[in-house]
Amino acid sequence: MIEAAATPLLELVGIRAGYGTIDVLHGVDLRVMPGTVCALLGPNGAGKTTTLGVASGQIRPHAGSVLLNGQEVNGVSPDRLARAGVCLIPEGRGVFPNLTVAENLRMCTYAGVSYQEVQERAFAQFPRLRERRSQTAGTLSGGEQQMLAMSRAMATDPALLMLDELSMGLAPIIVEELYEQVAALAEAGLSILIVEQFAQAVLGVADEAAIMLHGRIQRTGAPEEIAEKLTAAYLGMS
Amino acid sequence: MILGLRPPVALAALLAAMAAVVIAVFNWKGAPVTGQTFLVTTYIGLFLGALWAMYATGLVVVYTTTGVFNFAQGAIGVFAAFLYWELHVNRGWHSILALFVVVGLFAPALGVLLDVVIMRRLRTASLVVQLMVTVAIMVLLLSVVGDIWEADTPRRVPYLFGIENGIDLGPSQLPWHRLIVFLVAVAIAVAMRYLLRRTRIGTAMRAVVDNRELAALNGARPNAVSSTSWALGSMLGALGGILIAPELGLDPATLNNVVIIAFAAAAFGALRNLPMAVVGAMLIGLLRAHTGAWLDFGPDYRFAHLSIAPLILLFVVIALPQARLEVGRLAHNLRRHERFTKWWEGLIGCGVIILAAVALSGGWLDFGIWDPGAWGSRELNSANEAMAFALIGLSLVPLIGWAGQINFAPLAFAGFGAFVYLKLAGDTGDGYWILLVGLLCAPLGALVALPAARLRGLYLALMTMAFAQAMSLIFFPHSWILPTIGVGRQFPHIELFGVTFDDRRGFFLLIVSVFAVFVYALVLLRRSRYGRRWMAVNDSQAASATLGIPVVWTKVVVYALSAAMAGIAGVFWATVSGNVDSVQGFDLLIGFNIVLLVAAAGVSIPVAGIFLIFIPLFTGLGHRLEDTGNVDFLVTLLEIMTTYGPGLMVLGMVFNPRGAIFEMGRGFSPLLPWRSDARAEIAAENAQKREPEIGELGIERPFTPEEVIAIDRRLGILDDVVPKEGYGSARS
Repeated sequence: MIEAAATPLLELVGIRAGYGTIDVLHGVDLRVMPGTVCALLGPNGAGKTTTLGVASGQIRPHAGSVLLNGQEVNGVSPDRLARAGVCLIPEGRGVFPNLTVAENLRMCTYAGVSYQEVQERAFAQFPRLRERRSQTAGTLSGGEQQMLAMSRAMATDPALLMLDELSMGLAPIIVEELYEQVAALAEAGLSILIVEQFAQAVLGVADEAAIMLHGRIQRTGAPEEIAEKLTAAYLGMS
Repeated sequence: MILGLRPPVALAALLAAMAAVVIAVFNWKGAPVTGQTFLVTTYIGLFLGALWAMYATGLVVVYTTTGVFNFAQGAIGVFAAFLYWELHVNRGWHSILALFVVVGLFAPALGVLLDVVIMRRLRTASLVVQLMVTVAIMVLLLSVVGDIWEADTPRRVPYLFGIENGIDLGPSQLPWHRLIVFLVAVAIAVAMRYLLRRTRIGTAMRAVVDNRELAALNGARPNAVSSTSWALGSMLGALGGILIAPELGLDPATLNNVVIIAFAAAAFGALRNLPMAVVGAMLIGLLRAHTGAWLDFGPDYRFAHLSIAPLILLFVVIALPQARLEVGRLAHNLRRHERFTKWWEGLIGCGVIILAAVALSGGWLDFGIWDPGAWGSRELNSANEAMAFALIGLSLVPLIGWAGQINFAPLAFAGFGAFVYLKLAGDTGDGYWILLVGLLCAPLGALVALPAARLRGLYLALMTMAFAQAMSLIFFPHSWILPTIGVGRQFPHIELFGVTFDDRRGFFLLIVSVFAVFVYALVLLRRSRYGRRWMAVNDSQAASATLGIPVVWTKVVVYALSAAMAGIAGVFWATVSGNVDSVQGFDLLIGFNIVLLVAAAGVSIPVAGIFLIFIPLFTGLGHRLEDTGNVDFLVTLLEIMTTYGPGLMVLGMVFNPRGAIFEMGRGFSPLLPWRSDARAEIAAENAQKREPEIGELGIERPFTPEEVIAIDRRLGILDDVVPKEGYGSARS
């Protein structure tokens, strides 16, 4: 287990945030310790994506603080966080549809890795992308698009990786394949925060899990423990 | 697939080839074709093509890197050319230094300024607002140029590399300047292609258009990237303007119109494909040179060879693939809660308009400085012009305001209407023919819209622009359409219900009545099922299509209606100006101003058309003040308002896309006794702005988390799994 004394890589304290005048998060507290995989679960509209938005700098919280490695980063722009090693793969195909596969990979170089290296690593992980390197990303299949999106995580050595609904709209076999990659990254010691609506795939990889409901973290604990409570949470039973 | 081409492309190519053969056969000049003349013509064509290619490159680069089709691209070139003249010719700076200051410093600064102040806020705006704002920038830039460098001094921009020396080509000489311009144009196109495809910043520019948020997640600075894009686009426009100015002369309108040809070239590359856009520009250049050399269109079609660009645009539009329905994009104006004007409210409003007109024109009321009691022919003429403008503007309300489509050619339709009326009614001026004018203009509007209606709105806007140009180049100059200039034939007075409206006061009342009737018809139409259909198509084409609304057909019908209204308005306008020749003044730039004013006033509201009254009214007021003397600053102020007003108002749309009339209506409607809903809305808004005091809620202190849970439990809305343990704290 993790030592209590270690500084969490990502820590959200009392985060309230939302869109316009509507609050979605009503005080979220969450930690990701270095070298662990944390799964954030919950049904539609629980505020999972908003939580990632706050952690990646896209959404500025109304209250509370976002701490990266103990340092407050409230209001730091998403591109600065990205260059500092925070990597969010957003929900629903994080690719530029009108750019080719190679051009999508070139965009990864803003994180400080050379184009040559990005390509080598991405193609090593997903050989299928090499064949399609000059194809427009919008014309790839859903699975291939998600691979392309994932290759940013593979190629840029992020300090913190956040994955939003990796499995959305994909065939089970592809989801399995992608989660194998995630497991490999976790093995290598990367800190990962995964958001999922469907828990099966992710609980096998996670070190700990949290359930989110109506803008609050309802419970955190070991994956097995959380798995039991999950059905009740999704069906709204207490 | 026919010969490896998609059917629309094959069809367009076939049509174009047929048109080319027919035109060539019927207009062959009969000059002998020799290798040498052919060569020289080709070189001229390629040179012209290179000039347009430069502008087209700028358009494509700006469009691919910012997502905004910049109608102001030509105006930036105009401004740069004048600035270059000022520095180089007027102040005597060295040409290289002047070029560097204009293209290297001024242009990027202008681009960044445009991005930071305006374009950044346009990202999520509707296409109408985007286009209107770039057109407003164009009009404003041209006005500024007109004000700084007044037209009375003749100006020439010298050839950058000299015109005297060059390569000997036998019958003519190829000057260095032209050769270098050609090479520069090609080099710029190649460099831009390389930049966009092979460099990280170029990739980032396109990525930002694709998905701004994702670009930021990748670590690119979206704001810096799009500022770079605008700076680059502005530099390309500036360079184009400076290189073209020596050929065309330093005239703002001429220089600006070059960009319309570039639109066709850019469309040839589907607005995004740089090499194809350059090919398109070269094609237009070659066609233009060769038609000039081998064909003779006779005096009636003396400008026909200039209309190649609109023609190319037409064929391109036919060839383009059907636009994909945009799914999953939220309607731009989410906060819209429309209230439809009730039929009796419309009736009252129109009655008020007519009564006001009667009171004003009859001189029954005293208005201080502008005493209407003394409304002479000059004021009445201004008022009539104003109403004719307003009537034309009204034709745009269903089109721009409701259906979200753009028409840059209201004046072309108005001119067509005036012509039809002249042919039908002849010298008698029988007013009943006006209805038939409407019926004849409607199919023309449908015809213009038909090829582009299945494409994105931008192409429709470009088509109307091409149509306006084609009309002024081919249709209006024809001797059968309008008798030779200088005859001075008067437009007949309109005669209706046995009354001849030959005095200006009577005509004023007639035109105001027509305006009121049109407004009322629009109010009723807006309440109808069909009127709502247009708004539905504007909100979401995909949703409309799934509901069974024929999207393309619906758009075509709006254009037909708008054209009919514009045609009828044209009759009145022509009657006001009196002289038949004035129909030729139906100019694209004035058309822009009408479109801008209506858009700025708040296109979705019929009465918005009345805002157009301000242009001639201000002019009239200016005359009046000049006559009475000693109020110079007011005259200047009015001049400024007339020149810059429309453009500045449209820039206001960036911050308030709903337009001025809407805001005025929000202030006014709570005053009406029956509009309790408007009062309630204002009250609710005010209540929302204020944080309620805790005391007002019947409690003395904020709830603790435990109390919140207790309340939730009591109300049966508890969603916690294990409340106490989980609430508010997560532990690892």
